[in-house]
Amino acid sequence: MKKIGLFVLIVAISFSLFAQGGAEEKQEEIRVLLANHPYGELLKEAIPEFEAETGIKVNVESLQESQLTQKLTTEFATGSSTVDVFMTRPLQEGLLFTKNGWYAPLDSYDFSDYPDPAVDIGKKDGVAYIVPLVTEWQVMYYRKDLFKAAGISVPTNFEELEAAAKALNKDGIAGFGSRGKGAASVTQISSYIYNFGGRYLEDNVAVFDSPEALEGIRYYGRLLGNYGPQGVVSMSWENLMPVFQAGKLAIWTDASVFYGQVVDPSKTQIPAEDVGVAQLPRGPKEDSPFIVASWGMSMSNKSKNSDAAKQFLDWATSKELAIEAMKRNITMARDSAWLDEEVRAMMNPGLIETQAHAALNGFPFDRPFMSAVGQARDLIGEVVIESINTKGTSSKLASLAAEKTQAVNDLLKADGEYGGN
Amino acid sequence: MKQSLRFRILFPIIVLLIIIPMLFPFLWMLMSAFKTQVDIISWPPKFIFSPTMVNFYKVFNEQNFLLYLKNSMIVGVGAVSFSLLLGLPAAYSIARFHQKKLSVMILVARLMPGISFLMPWYIVFSRLGLMDSYTALILSHILIALPVVVWIMSSYFETVPREMEESAMVDGATMQHAFVSIIIPLSVPGIVTSVTLSFIFSWNNFMFSQVLSMEKTRTLPIAVYNFMSYAEVDWGGVMAAAVAIMTPAIILTMIFQKYVVKGLTMGAVKG
Repeated sequence: MKKIGLFVLIVAISFSLFAQGGAEEKQEEIRVLLANHPYGELLKEAIPEFEAETGIKVNVESLQESQLTQKLTTEFATGSSTVDVFMTRPLQEGLLFTKNGWYAPLDSYDFSDYPDPAVDIGKKDGVAYIVPLVTEWQVMYYRKDLFKAAGISVPTNFEELEAAAKALNKDGIAGFGSRGKGAASVTQISSYIYNFGGRYLEDNVAVFDSPEALEGIRYYGRLLGNYGPQGVVSMSWENLMPVFQAGKLAIWTDASVFYGQVVDPSKTQIPAEDVGVAQLPRGPKEDSPFIVASWGMSMSNKSKNSDAAKQFLDWATSKELAIEAMKRNITMARDSAWLDEEVRAMMNPGLIETQAHAALNGFPFDRPFMSAVGQARDLIGEVVIESINTKGTSSKLASLAAEKTQAVNDLLKADGEYGGN
Repeated sequence: MKQSLRFRILFPIIVLLIIIPMLFPFLWMLMSAFKTQVDIISWPPKFIFSPTMVNFYKVFNEQNFLLYLKNSMIVGVGAVSFSLLLGLPAAYSIARFHQKKLSVMILVARLMPGISFLMPWYIVFSRLGLMDSYTALILSHILIALPVVVWIMSSYFETVPREMEESAMVDGATMQHAFVSIIIPLSVPGIVTSVTLSFIFSWNNFMFSQVLSMEKTRTLPIAVYNFMSYAEVDWGGVMAAAVAIMTPAIILTMIFQKYVVKGLTMGAVKG
């Protein structure tokens, strides 16, 4: 018996040694979850100023984005999360979080400095839940030196793009690259589908088996199948960027967010002056690359310190910080940040031009906007891969797309999001 | 008996053929850890390059990996110790009294997907104010370590002749006394095996720490992701971090390797 008593004692002592927390004194404290994102880094550097100004203690954690989503989902689902403010991806998790009531309504926030489409994505029944932080849009990165050597000019429409890809596809350099890895490709092929007049969803009904959308998918498959780097069907941005940086890719279409890394001499082998950035060539029907609010910031509906949380949100999404971020090549959602003279003088003109074009003509979604977006992306990705593998010539592409469209519609129905407005 | 010439030539070739595909990713990781970002992405791959320590500098100076290393150590050692305290007597009891159902129950706990535990744990731990504490992490990691200890040790205890403890009891020892002073010392190889395996499982666990830890108690597997940010991967940093994480586990395994093989086969043959 003595042994058991001793054993219990050991357990008890060691647990009380490890236990922390419990009752702490009442200083205003908030818990903030940030993404591993350049804007998150900027906030982390600036938070001590906020703490000194307001006396609110900010406990920050930063996580890689998929971990962030999983952590937020787990915590919110239990109903006892202690998160107050967090970074969020409106297109990826926004709908699910809104539907579950996890975001706090932002009635008193001033949204006048933001483009409407970016704010609308975070709205439900007229109430806004997400402050847009960062935008990105599709651009075309290209090798100026290769274009010059081949004597061709920067393509402005899809025919010229195909001709350029063909002409530059030689000497171990792939003519054209864009994401080919199933689900990952969905965001980048979106602009191609739009430019052919197609859409993923129309009034919450999947329509990517329409003739226009199919034409876009075939075109994308033809370009990547014929002129893409080897193994492109398993490549996402993290595989394509190194290929471009190693000088083995002539044209690369992807999101604007990669610009800084493509020209950073510590990361790339090609000199910065040989890298051009241009808008995506226009298609036969439209000229609307995607432009999306990729990151936003929200408050938790369960926040117990909502006043302090609101104060933090206002500060973290302020115009001053937005301008500071723009100077670090982070493309912010605030309109006024783009008009700042100092910023315009520092930023790459290619980014400013393509942003202006996309803001005017672009389409505010790069993926089907629905709760089951992950599954939908897998389904659409299968169609894209089929198209690339057959260089856009597959005879069963139409039936495959029809089947996947049906499957996405089933997902929409299962979540009660099918049809309507 | 002399080995035939053919065998002596063929055997090393076959061994090499098997080893190379297994070791190649590991060597690649090791090389990349000492490369700059430009060298990592260069094509064709560079096998001769001027090594840099900048990635390791980032790992230990900018990212505070020593703290994460300490956290992983505390959690791993804590979870394994408590698992031994609970698991050894349990395994002994299972082995001696043939409590097969009980051992299956313990295994079922291990077979259930970890994520199904996370929600209830999160609720309980956050109500108790135990979030971001070692207690929560150690308790959760016991779930990983305990079934390993119980399963390896119960089959091991079955191989220890019952006569040993019976003769101790004839001399006046209680069953508990016989267990502590006779059985445990006889079972060291098995204990080392279960300690090594359960520690490695705890060391590598990602999911539990992801939800139950915060900044202060973040463990190593989570910290690797610090080098992956939105639209940017610092491959050199990831590789250096992976080297830093694997090294203690590899050293531990090398030291205890002979026990592990012995412990596993002892149980397997007789149990």
